[in-house]
Amino acid sequence: MSTLVKIPAAETPNYLTEGRGIRSWLLTTDHKRIALLYLASVTVFFFIGGIFALLMRLELVTPASDLVSPHTYNELFSMHGIIMVWFFLIPSIPNTLGNFLIPMMIGAKDLAYPKINLASWYVFMLGGTITLYSMFRGGVDTGWTFYTPFSTIYSNTYVVGAALGIFVSGFASIMTGLNFIVTIHNMRAPGMTWFRLPLFIWSHYATSIIFVLATPVLAVTLLMVAVERIFQVGIFSSELGGDPVLFQHMFWFYSHPAVYIMVLPGMAVVSELVAAFSRKTIFGYTFVAFASVSIAVIGFLVWGHHMFVAGTSIYAAMYFSLLSYVVAVPSAIKVFNWTATVYKGSISWDTPMLYAIGFIGLFTIGGMTGLFLAALGIDVHVTDTYFVVAHFHYIMVGGTIMAFLGGIHYWWPKISGRMYPEGISKLSALTVFLGFNLTFFPQFVLGYLGMPRRYAAYPPEFQSLHVLSTAGATILGAGYLMPLIYLFWSWHYGPPAPPNPWRATGLEWQTSSPPPKQNFEITPVVTRKAYDYEGMKDELGLV
Amino acid sequence: MGPVVSVKTYMFTFLALLALTLSTVLIGFLNLGWGSMFVAVLIALGKAILIACFFMHALLEKKIVKLVIAGSILWFLILVTLTAGDYITRGWVAFGGK
Amino acid sequence: MSSALSSTAQKLMLREQYGTPEQQRETVTLGMWIFLATEVMFFGGLFMAFAVYRMRFPQGFDEGSADMSIVLGSINTAVLIASSFAMALAIHSAATGKQYRSVWLLLTTAFLGVAFLAIKFTEYYQHYEAHKVPGIWFETSKPEAGAMQLFYVFYFAMTGLHALHMTIGITLVIIYALRAAAGSFDSEYHTPLEALGLYWHFVDIVWVFLFAIFYISGLHT
Repeated sequence: MSTLVKIPAAETPNYLTEGRGIRSWLLTTDHKRIALLYLASVTVFFFIGGIFALLMRLELVTPASDLVSPHTYNELFSMHGIIMVWFFLIPSIPNTLGNFLIPMMIGAKDLAYPKINLASWYVFMLGGTITLYSMFRGGVDTGWTFYTPFSTIYSNTYVVGAALGIFVSGFASIMTGLNFIVTIHNMRAPGMTWFRLPLFIWSHYATSIIFVLATPVLAVTLLMVAVERIFQVGIFSSELGGDPVLFQHMFWFYSHPAVYIMVLPGMAVVSELVAAFSRKTIFGYTFVAFASVSIAVIGFLVWGHHMFVAGTSIYAAMYFSLLSYVVAVPSAIKVFNWTATVYKGSISWDTPMLYAIGFIGLFTIGGMTGLFLAALGIDVHVTDTYFVVAHFHYIMVGGTIMAFLGGIHYWWPKISGRMYPEGISKLSALTVFLGFNLTFFPQFVLGYLGMPRRYAAYPPEFQSLHVLSTAGATILGAGYLMPLIYLFWSWHYGPPAPPNPWRATGLEWQTSSPPPKQNFEITPVVTRKAYDYEGMKDELGLV
Repeated sequence: MGPVVSVKTYMFTFLALLALTLSTVLIGFLNLGWGSMFVAVLIALGKAILIACFFMHALLEKKIVKLVIAGSILWFLILVTLTAGDYITRGWVAFGGK
Repeated sequence: MSSALSSTAQKLMLREQYGTPEQQRETVTLGMWIFLATEVMFFGGLFMAFAVYRMRFPQGFDEGSADMSIVLGSINTAVLIASSFAMALAIHSAATGKQYRSVWLLLTTAFLGVAFLAIKFTEYYQHYEAHKVPGIWFETSKPEAGAMQLFYVFYFAMTGLHALHMTIGITLVIIYALRAAAGSFDSEYHTPLEALGLYWHFVDIVWVFLFAIFYISGLHT
């Protein structure tokens, strides 16, 4: 497997070979090609956001603000947050794996609106270009949260540009969510009833509900910020009698559900991986399906927990705290059910499974620390400290990014028609896991000890923990570079993959690797429930 | 081809909408304090229901469409209720409070 | 799929990913309703913010509302309602095979939409002359100046967004009228018209609420 001979791809025509040249890619309406367009884009955005993170961590090695000025540091964390949230995490799994797999998993030829799908990528790229342009022209320093009145009145950076870029990319989100909902309702193959759908579909359906109902509120909120900046008068300034906290209400009405947009697709992937690599049906399928929808719904009722110290009423705070505990329940149900699935399963430790198990552990830590933060008494102490930073990175990075990598590896044979190299992939999974924990665990301690977030300079007693965190960040960075390299390599040099290398259930494995343009030679008819490993034992072959 | 509603129904809806507009204006001339806006919004809700049911034939569509309509209204109410709830319970509004 | 298609089937333009025309129609309809749900949340954010500030500044907002021309506002409301009526009739005509009539009704819809915008911009111009445009020229001697200015920010933002949606709608109506005139639709297939109709009625509903919140509360003064 270590020859450098370019192994020719499969002879049969597939979605990669039908239509060549750049026009066929830029004008494609094939959901699989659009998924790859998105994959290229989000990868680029990920590394840009990662560079900002690395610069931040380098600055934080020393207590003084010596590598960059405090103003530049403000721009770094703002740009890191904006790029990572809106241009990597939100589109990552839904627009790459979701786009590629949803039609296949339901037995359809494509999404309901293929042209809208392509348009969404262009809109996304337009938003990204506007945002990057603002960043490189001079940056934005308001934090990814754009709190008023700093963002509307006092900041001297490219707020309108950044807000406009995010506003535009929001339309791509809405188009995607709309497309997915309609597809899942109307385009299922015969026999594919709701409760035979893979849980990947249920989670993406829940994600799409959030896309559609939350994103418009962000759009109008950022629009109002832009209006206030341009016309020097608006609804958030106290000069006219307005309330700056109103911005926070409107912003977090979107941004809390947005974190569920970021994690639900990760959970979607994990459900698939855990079933496949335990060779067992998911324990409590119905509970997991309804838990996904519950997370999406209840997630809209908790946004005030980001505002406990902002000046909301104590009654509002108590209500939001209570609901924040409630929203943890369906997530916990999922963790219990995945664990029960693995228990007494026939487990194989391929790379995707390593990422899936990593997700379960790290997401649990992240989720539990969220419950600490939901307690008013604790939150007053640790809000706006590194405790919060560690909490959300455990979920976003330890959770979502691990799930993303696990999913990319798992479906890589289907997408590319090639196997990735298993040895180095396990090494990089381990590197990511170790690097991640070294980066972010010290941050829980830092936050608890009082280190504020968004500060470039800090008291010297915090230095050793910061040094550990930066060391971890470099290891984590190396761990992310490795798949970039070997996955690229495998595209031409990896061994060709069979249709079902993992012997998994699921319609996507019933077609060739890579699939034909129309996904299936004949429209499948579904008769089995999802993850029917027992029933399909003979069909799928030995473990 | 979607559900077909008769021209007569459309005509009655049109006239009803005009009548409700007129009544909104007339009620506005009464001095009801904050009640004016409340009644105006209520009548507007009635007009919206007429437009949705007859011009948009919402009631003739599949269950999922009705769920989408109900959901959008519910979500809007979530946004308003919880946000206004904060402002009312901190006495930030002109009536009652602390 | 190689046999000669009837003209109806050709007009049907059944897209590749659909199995039947009914599936295509239902899919387009569901998609448009979901898009309207996003619009509810989009305008909804501003309605919510307006509601909060209205509760805090009832006097200032009433003063702002008293400035509004109830005559022009009412006429505009009637114009939009008529345009929705025309749109509904246009689709009905298309569905019953009267394509020629549907073209004229679509053009009527567009015309009424343009009339609405003309009246609206007249109002905007009147506000400008009265120095009531926040951020450009705002002066008032009324006691609740800040609140009044807030009212006007909402007024311009919300009616402005509505006018933008109207403009997009009018453009699409004209384009579809041209397509209808070219024979693209028939009684079997006029799904794009139905979708456009939903959008148009929704924009009308938004105006109905805007009328209620901006034009009525200051009338009694």
